[in-house]
Amino acid sequence: MNISEKNINSYTILSLQGILNASSAPQLKTYIAGLPDAQSIVVDLENVEFLDSSGLGALVGIARRKKTSNAVIKLARMNERVKKVFEITQAYTLFDIYDDVSAAAEA
Amino acid sequence: MKKQIILFMNPIVTLTLQADLRYVRIASVTACNVAEIFADVACTAGNVAEFCHAYELSISEAFTNSVRYAEPSQPEKQITIRFSSDNSTLAASIIDTNPQFNPLTQAPDINSYPEGGYGLFLIHRLMDTVSYTRKDGTNMLTMTKRATIMHNA
Amino acid sequence: MKTLIVIKKQEYEWLLDLFPGVHPLLLPICNKPFIEFFVDFSIFTGSNAIRIVSDGPLRDVERYCENGSRWGVEISYGSMLPADELHSVIDKNRRFCQEERVVIISGFLFIHYDKKSDYASLFASLPSGELFSCGRGSISLTGTPVVETNTTTGASPFSLTALDSVGKYYRLSMDILKNGLTRYVLPGYSSESDCYIGRNVVIPKSAEIKKPVIIGNNVQILSNSVIDKNSVIGSNVIIDRESVISGSIVMDNTYIGEHLEVKDKIAAGNLLIDPESGTTIVMEDPHLLTSMAQSKVAGTLLRRVVHALAATLLIILQFLPWFLLRPILGIQGNWKRDKGQYHTGLPGKAFTMTKTTIGNNGPLCAIAKALSLDRFPLLFRVLSGKLLLIGSQPVLINPATRVIPNSMSGYRPGVFSYAEAEDWPEIGIDTEIVEHYYAVHGNPLKDIAMTQKALFNRTH
Repeated sequence: MNISEKNINSYTILSLQGILNASSAPQLKTYIAGLPDAQSIVVDLENVEFLDSSGLGALVGIARRKKTSNAVIKLARMNERVKKVFEITQAYTLFDIYDDVSAAAEA
Repeated sequence: MKKQIILFMNPIVTLTLQADLRYVRIASVTACNVAEIFADVACTAGNVAEFCHAYELSISEAFTNSVRYAEPSQPEKQITIRFSSDNSTLAASIIDTNPQFNPLTQAPDINSYPEGGYGLFLIHRLMDTVSYTRKDGTNMLTMTKRATIMHNA
Repeated sequence: MKTLIVIKKQEYEWLLDLFPGVHPLLLPICNKPFIEFFVDFSIFTGSNAIRIVSDGPLRDVERYCENGSRWGVEISYGSMLPADELHSVIDKNRRFCQEERVVIISGFLFIHYDKKSDYASLFASLPSGELFSCGRGSISLTGTPVVETNTTTGASPFSLTALDSVGKYYRLSMDILKNGLTRYVLPGYSSESDCYIGRNVVIPKSAEIKKPVIIGNNVQILSNSVIDKNSVIGSNVIIDRESVISGSIVMDNTYIGEHLEVKDKIAAGNLLIDPESGTTIVMEDPHLLTSMAQSKVAGTLLRRVVHALAATLLIILQFLPWFLLRPILGIQGNWKRDKGQYHTGLPGKAFTMTKTTIGNNGPLCAIAKALSLDRFPLLFRVLSGKLLLIGSQPVLINPATRVIPNSMSGYRPGVFSYAEAEDWPEIGIDTEIVEHYYAVHGNPLKDIAMTQKALFNRTH
């Protein structure tokens, strides 16, 4: 999985590319751990080809961590395959989900 | 003489992998490919993608669980995935030698931000049937899904 | 033009108790799911794309509407959080909302419209902002008017009703039925006005139907029944003989028993709802109002009866050989009995069963085995309903492992097992797949054939 980073406003935008499963989730967790806890982030999921519950678990873990440190995590540009996992697990109730990265980084 | 061949399902692919998370993608991509080949015959275009994704996801979950619950005392453990089918239904079995587990699962309480525990729940939601058996120290989780045939009026 | 439909779970939660299992957006209003009225209206405003956003599950809605190609529009789905206000919902769907004007429908509300009005040019010319609101919901518009017109819209060509009680739902349905049938697009065959009849509807000569009426698909009306005026009958409904339905809504998959009078009510499954007071009566008597979806129960009952009959027959046949051989084998020590606790089909429940094994010495044992006499004592358990004649191999309760047979796998213990019938090795992983297969795909007749097969196969 590739993670690229840029900053818009006060948000760090992480664009993920590739597969987010049990073998790549630790990579995302390590990457996030390298950022300050109080840093709010937007995760751009447009190029995530595949996400399973391990990948979802990593995102949920980040959300919990951000919540305790009063920062936010927002998700942007989910594709249909990713959306399906969120729909079944009802994980959409935990995240602010945007269809546009710049809108996510503004609010 | 005992009959040796499964009566109602033809074996298609048997895949044996070392119990290591690095190989989870091999398992799920294979599942996706097997499902695609099978579904091309059985369903219409719109449903093939959904059918394949259901298998890709379910096998990814099942394999990950199998690796996670492996006993550390057996480092060279293997996990076998067996696909079989009849005319309209595809079945996949994940066979390992892990300790026994309880395959009945509830949805995790999402509001407590759980980082895991969705695996079997997802499989139950994506598949038509899920069954678990344990014999002689071997676990087998079997899932089946029928490829829906759309009748266009 | 595009349309954004924003519906919060909180607005429709009251419906979930009344009509469980039906997503409120798929609740039929005069034989057409609620969401389709939104889709129709969106199309009339000139929209080519619709997005449905909710903080609740949309899976069923998505399964029904899919990508919208059925209506020639593009339908997508989005999620939001319960606390989100309208402007943040618009932010979350910015990519959808930019470039074109967007009609935003917010709230669980019904839009009264008239398909003969020209909404496309109306919406193209209206200024942006909130157009209509009804307290619990609103319609607003973004973007600048495409066509500048100075047509002063006199009487507004549509109005809103927030659906927040069963009484409103009932009155809305009745209002559409009595006054609005020509305003909306309704499916079904309509040879004359105020009368919509779906496919596969069986109406005997003796039944009487008065319009206005709407009847769905796959409906059977039995002799001497009366569908009095102002009735909406859903799909997969049976109205049994000599019943009278008037001013009522009968929801999908409902059976109305014979000699019943349903007046000004909503009948759904085994519930009878009075729309004015909101009270519901659960019909205890299964002959009055029962959902047809419960036919599974009837299936199990039939299976039991067939199994009991076949078991009786086997008892009669086996009695004489058992009576002759049992004492001899007992004296020889070839009749071994093992008492154990076994799983029943219900989780957590156990029953005691004595399993008999016949030894391997001499011709008498061979005969007893060939006749399956070891199962003879168990046949009586079929009559008492504890066992099926043929089913899964009974699983011994092992307190050490505490494995629970998965309720999904259809485990039902039987005197004989499907695995035996298929001559499958008694231990082995595939056995349970075989059993599972027949448990799901079996029927009573097949069971009898499989029992014969089991009896035959065990002799070899």
